[in-house]
Amino acid sequence: MKYGLFLGCNIPFNRPDVEVSMREIFPALGIELDDLRGQSCCPTWGTLPSIDVVGWCAVAARNLALGEERGIDLMTACNSCYGSLNEARHKMLTNPEIMEKVNEILAKIGKKYEGRAKCRHVAWVLYKDVGLEKLRESIKFSLEGLTVAVQPGCHFLWPSKVYPDKEEDPFNPKVLREICEALGADAPYYSRLIDCCGMGALRSTDPEKSFKLVKDKLECIKEEIDADLIVTTCSSCLIQLDDAQEQLRKKGEINFSIPVFHLVQIVAICMGFDPSRVAGICVTPRDEVIKKILENEVR
Amino acid sequence: MIEGVPSVLNLTEIAEREKEEFGKRVYEVIKELGAERITFCMQCGACASICPLARVGFEWFNKKLIKALLLGLKEELLDDPTPWACVACNRCTEVCPRDVSPFEVMFAMRRLMVEEFAIPTLAIEALRSLYEHGHAVYMTGREARKKVGLPEKPPSTDSDEKALEDLRKILKETKLASLGLIPME
Repeated sequence: MKYGLFLGCNIPFNRPDVEVSMREIFPALGIELDDLRGQSCCPTWGTLPSIDVVGWCAVAARNLALGEERGIDLMTACNSCYGSLNEARHKMLTNPEIMEKVNEILAKIGKKYEGRAKCRHVAWVLYKDVGLEKLRESIKFSLEGLTVAVQPGCHFLWPSKVYPDKEEDPFNPKVLREICEALGADAPYYSRLIDCCGMGALRSTDPEKSFKLVKDKLECIKEEIDADLIVTTCSSCLIQLDDAQEQLRKKGEINFSIPVFHLVQIVAICMGFDPSRVAGICVTPRDEVIKKILENEVR
Repeated sequence: MIEGVPSVLNLTEIAEREKEEFGKRVYEVIKELGAERITFCMQCGACASICPLARVGFEWFNKKLIKALLLGLKEELLDDPTPWACVACNRCTEVCPRDVSPFEVMFAMRRLMVEEFAIPTLAIEALRSLYEHGHAVYMTGREARKKVGLPEKPPSTDSDEKALEDLRKILKETKLASLGLIPME
């Protein structure tokens, strides 16, 4: 099985340790990666989607076409990319007029998009293509004894109609919890599990309101399940929960610290890859919990 | 377009659009800008009950914005930051019993605001960055990549001139160019 590794922007520039994690774990789990040379921004919400629907779809279609030309689907670890690419694809597939206009634009660069290639999410590839059984067999260290607070993030769930893979109930998501449990962790429900982290446009428009959302969420995680770590499927949630947490501490608004990981990072650590490369970039310290994981050798 | 002169504002196009839109109800413009089902809203409030913006106190959250647009308000809304704070989470789309997609209304409102040049500076910066590098979020410093042992440039438009040129050609075919939102050499 082979996927086009769609990087986006935040991962390669802000959190390249997430990129390293993907490049390490997938080949080791039997999934081949193509670099999709020449890929660009998905485009993210504040850009073309805010300007022009056809323009949004055209930029997305160029990225999707890079996969289609190679006969493969794309795969991303960024929920924004997952959302933007799949929403654009849904528009093109359900509105022939948009698809036609997009292909007129793509013709100018000698490309076309027929709607075949889609974008999968790394969490779904781990869950469905790799499978929990194989994942369990592939880990050298386990999360046994640790409590994980999962953060699936908005664009992993909604609007479910545009996504290639769907939770049974998108308001009670199970996939990320099941993957974390397969790694040995306890991943309980908490009442703000599906709440927004407050990142993205909200943070750039009004940081104070954004911090209110992330503070509510973190306090809930601390009080209800006292998690040892947070695991998310989204690079934006990762940055927000990690970075805003530190800012809340500095302001004296919270007095605790919970390390945050992208799902692919925690899988990479459990598989035995070098933590300094697969999880070396963070604001909220991770060292202690990584040390605990590395003491949990599987047989 | 005159050769060698960057198109900053295409006033002709804006004037034509204004003329065309004069007398049109604002919800009709919103429909054309992507929110085709706005008139199906019955103000049940399901979208507002689940909207992160409503929760933290933004004034013109989904349900209220839809009502205002259906009543024909426009000028009063142009300076409001709410649509630009929308995280596009699509909880509203998921729960809407009338398939209105309030998210599309929020974003159609952004598109309308863009036509009136009521666009935040940060959005302009992201668009410039997208045109210049192919990435809306872009950093020139590469310490983080080097630290984790990756090549300085990802295999994107950042390291592929032809791909960047292709992307720019596409962007020149969008409203980004016809509205003259950013300089495009």
